[in-house]
Amino acid sequence: MEDPAELAGDILNTHLEEWRRGGGRIVGYTCVATPREIMDAAGILPYRIRALGKPERELADAHLSRFNCGFCRACLQLGLEGTYDFLDGLVENNGCDHLRGMFEDWVYAKRPGFFHYLRVPHIVSEVSLEFFAEELELFREALGRHFQVEITDASLKEAMERNNRTRESLRELFSLREGERPALTGRQALAVILLESSLPPAAFEEYLARFLEKSRGNEVKGYRARLLLAGSATDELELVGEIENVGGLVVCDALCYGTRAFWNLPRLAGDPIHALAEAYLKHLLCPRMFDDYHTRLDYILRAAERAKAEGAVLVYNKFCDLHGVENVRLRMDLEEAGIPVLVLEKEYGSGADLGRIRTRIQAFLERIGG
Amino acid sequence: MRFGGIDVGSLTAQAVVVENGKIAGSKSIGVKPNPVDSAETVLGMLLSDLGLRHQDISYIVSTGYGREQVQSRGLAHANVSEISCHGVGAFWLLPGVRTIIDIGGQDAKVIRMDTAGELKDFVMNDKCAAGTGRFLEVMCRTLGITLDELGTLSLKARHPVGLSSRCSIFCETEVLHYLQRGADKADIAASVNRAMAERVAALARRVGVEPDVTMSGGVAKNGAVKSELERILGVRMVPCPVDPQIVGALGAAILARKMGGEK
Amino acid sequence: MAEGSSATTRKGAEGLFERVESLVEVAMLLPHGMSDEEVEGLLRVLPPDTSRSMRALLCPRFRDVSLDFIKMLGGWVQELRRAKEEGRKVVLIPFNFPPEVVYIFRNAIPLTSEVMTTLGVSVLEGQGERYWDHAMGLGIPDYLCSSSTIELGSILTGRDFQPDIIVQSAPGACDANSKIHEFVSLHMGIPQVILEKPTEATSRGRELHRRYFLALIRRLEEMIGEELDEERMRGVLEEANRASDLYYELYDLRKFSPCPVPNIFSIFTYGTRFTRWGRPQATEMMRRMVELSRRRREEGAYPADEEVARCMWLYIGYYFDFLGFFNWMEERGITYLNDILSLCQPLHVDTTSRESMLAGLAEACFEYPMTRQIGGDSMSLSWIEEMCQFIRDLDANCAIYSGHHACKQTWSIINQVRREITKRTGTPVLCLQGDSWIRRMTPTSVLQEEISSFVDNVVARRKRTRARA
Repeated sequence: MEDPAELAGDILNTHLEEWRRGGGRIVGYTCVATPREIMDAAGILPYRIRALGKPERELADAHLSRFNCGFCRACLQLGLEGTYDFLDGLVENNGCDHLRGMFEDWVYAKRPGFFHYLRVPHIVSEVSLEFFAEELELFREALGRHFQVEITDASLKEAMERNNRTRESLRELFSLREGERPALTGRQALAVILLESSLPPAAFEEYLARFLEKSRGNEVKGYRARLLLAGSATDELELVGEIENVGGLVVCDALCYGTRAFWNLPRLAGDPIHALAEAYLKHLLCPRMFDDYHTRLDYILRAAERAKAEGAVLVYNKFCDLHGVENVRLRMDLEEAGIPVLVLEKEYGSGADLGRIRTRIQAFLERIGG
Repeated sequence: MRFGGIDVGSLTAQAVVVENGKIAGSKSIGVKPNPVDSAETVLGMLLSDLGLRHQDISYIVSTGYGREQVQSRGLAHANVSEISCHGVGAFWLLPGVRTIIDIGGQDAKVIRMDTAGELKDFVMNDKCAAGTGRFLEVMCRTLGITLDELGTLSLKARHPVGLSSRCSIFCETEVLHYLQRGADKADIAASVNRAMAERVAALARRVGVEPDVTMSGGVAKNGAVKSELERILGVRMVPCPVDPQIVGALGAAILARKMGGEK
Repeated sequence: MAEGSSATTRKGAEGLFERVESLVEVAMLLPHGMSDEEVEGLLRVLPPDTSRSMRALLCPRFRDVSLDFIKMLGGWVQELRRAKEEGRKVVLIPFNFPPEVVYIFRNAIPLTSEVMTTLGVSVLEGQGERYWDHAMGLGIPDYLCSSSTIELGSILTGRDFQPDIIVQSAPGACDANSKIHEFVSLHMGIPQVILEKPTEATSRGRELHRRYFLALIRRLEEMIGEELDEERMRGVLEEANRASDLYYELYDLRKFSPCPVPNIFSIFTYGTRFTRWGRPQATEMMRRMVELSRRRREEGAYPADEEVARCMWLYIGYYFDFLGFFNWMEERGITYLNDILSLCQPLHVDTTSRESMLAGLAEACFEYPMTRQIGGDSMSLSWIEEMCQFIRDLDANCAIYSGHHACKQTWSIINQVRREITKRTGTPVLCLQGDSWIRRMTPTSVLQEEISSFVDNVVARRKRTRARA
């Protein structure tokens, strides 16, 4: 079977083309706070926008600036050059300041057919949960209206069940990575997550089942140390590949293109919109949330403990305010908990910088005695 | 037994051979387009100086940005990051050293060592060239002076100008701006060195500066940067007893001795 | 910290607040009506950096009003110290939180991060760099906002005046600001209270915000240990309303050409708005600015032969130049009409009842400058609309975006903002870049050169072409 990293290496894959040929619609989103289930319930394919480490910026930089995050600049570049013209719409949310700018520029320049702004609160409280549930309701209505499809509670529940099934399989796959004899690499794990949000649900479910089967009993060998990877939006297969080439096997993560995207399952009982609101807001695990640092720290500590990580790499894109600051505190707390930390500031998608990243990773492995 | 270290950087390449706990010899050259050629040449020159053959060296470690290629072409037995090598090299020379500020052509690193000579922590500049040897090179070109002149010229400065230390591109524009306004070259040179030192000091604060502190890498030879760093960080640098450019290769040779089986 | 305390500040004072505090003691003694000779004498004994700011402030055109401003902020700093000693709560607030919300409590006083930074950068020898460096040393990234990071860097040293409570009101409006405030809360163990600003300016968004605001008030009541007293609230808010009336008088005076309002009054306006609103000192300060501007209007006073540029600063200004930047422009016929902060447009609060007052305060938070524009669903929409409106209303003939590097939001949309403003109003826009509080990024001389060439080549030329037509 095809390696996930091969399949995930293209923005537009053959499954998507097939989906489109069959009249299927695709809506793009970026932030992990977007409940995919609502789109799925409408029969729309939720596609998580990515840039896969693309280095070009010239079109994007007529809008965004060099003080903006490279990931957002790269995504905008792809949007403006037409790579994402296969999307039937866009969902923005206020994930972070850079992302807000990126969507604003994208919409200003391209005027997508469907555009919806999903507002996500920054704190968890009864009031904010109620508001967020209302936002999801508005999202459901907007999708239904534009795409002329009724999203019933029943179809929503069905989508939630399907997604939970997938999430459970993903958890199983990721636990194979965390085990004594890791069954897959971090690069493969990232690729699987990228596939989850870029394949038609049925195709992914089928692929995941086969990959899971193949991975059982598999063992990755020849690494120097087991690492945890956390930090800002990281969809760069090449970067994770590079960390592993030097000998640091990524056995667990706290990334939004990683476990944070599926670790928590929405409950299936009760009102589906409320269940989604709760699951997505309460378990967002992103530093965009406030008054929630210890939840995020615990999540990382638990992952490190489960996977017996010998060190943590906290990565962030230059100009990322949220993770840039969060990593300072995390570094202190993880070191205190006995986990050595490498904070890796990087220019997003800069292949030319990989050599220097390698040096830092290698030195880190030498430091922790890997 | 003899052990070798080869450090191929972005601007220069060095080789060091150690024997009986002493430096038997060292060599430094400007790099060639291919790191393997650089390694071969510099090692060849050193061996011929010492009257030795390749097989006379029991174990060789490569370091620097070409370290992996050098090893895979059979010129070295293992490769180690230049961060560890600079740390180990400096610690071997000066056992009291806890902090090493290494400024090379493309990178600036601040390396912390523990009392046992193990790598404790480190920090390396991001992609931006501000705070690296490359930055000084570009500034010298703009000023029309040589790298050697940069350090000496700035000693004559009377009214250093304001320069941004946060970005090398800005800085170059500003240097041009001052030149056009007829500012004294010595004043600009002093400001370039200061901007450089500020940038590196910012890096150093990340890992903390514990004495003794020493500098390695090519920029260590620029006295003005060194004294600016001393002023900003409030420390005295312990002078490097050898050419600061060979510290990485020396560290590699010391590690080769360890990895090659000699205590 | 690498550098020791400055010889000019109180012995042992190392933190930004404490060093400012010791300078304040001297500043409070300065009398009105100082002669040029007396000012020169004073400037000679001050340390060089402090002296530069004092030279700008004590410019004869507005010397006494500057003294009032210095004393108003000095009084604020001293009151903060007294409050701390008396066991009242010092509440650290960011730039986007109205101080009157703290003043309605008898036992609390606001300390505004960004104003404290600006004060330090303006009057301390070596400016705020050592505090910035301390924060960087902890690992805070260098692209964070110096406006808050300098004062917070000083708090993080653990050797400066410490607040008791941190109010966070930038989540949703500014990541950089809210993250660094949260970091300080975690690192120093200072409890934080959060007020989120919903992005949508609809009744739904406002209602959500009102509920968040009421929750904040309840939290503050608990933490300060005081139940709000309606009479006190009314007193504070009536005072705030009086200051607001004067604010609009000053705004109107800026419509005259040549502009009778000195450039530096822009920063005086928000220096006042962000620290003392709701207290008589703020009202008095606004009154003094209005009076002087009115007098200048009557006299037709303007520092240059001609008012060449009526410049709208779309965002903020530059504060690392010891306040000399404002006078430098004015003396070349470049009027600094307003910036996004001095266009704070304070609202009149209905003081009928406790409910109406709380609703008014919630509204004041929602409509705070920057928050209401950049913190909207669209970051550019109301920013563009408002700026076009102000450009027309104040008859601006050019606009400048200062391009403070840490402001990722405005940087991400400035290209369309610039295009739309020029398209809708015909006003040329100059985009600069630098750090508004730290001189290491872009030196003053570079900024001055860019502004001069913009004004000479674009603004003045257009003006001449128009005059000929």
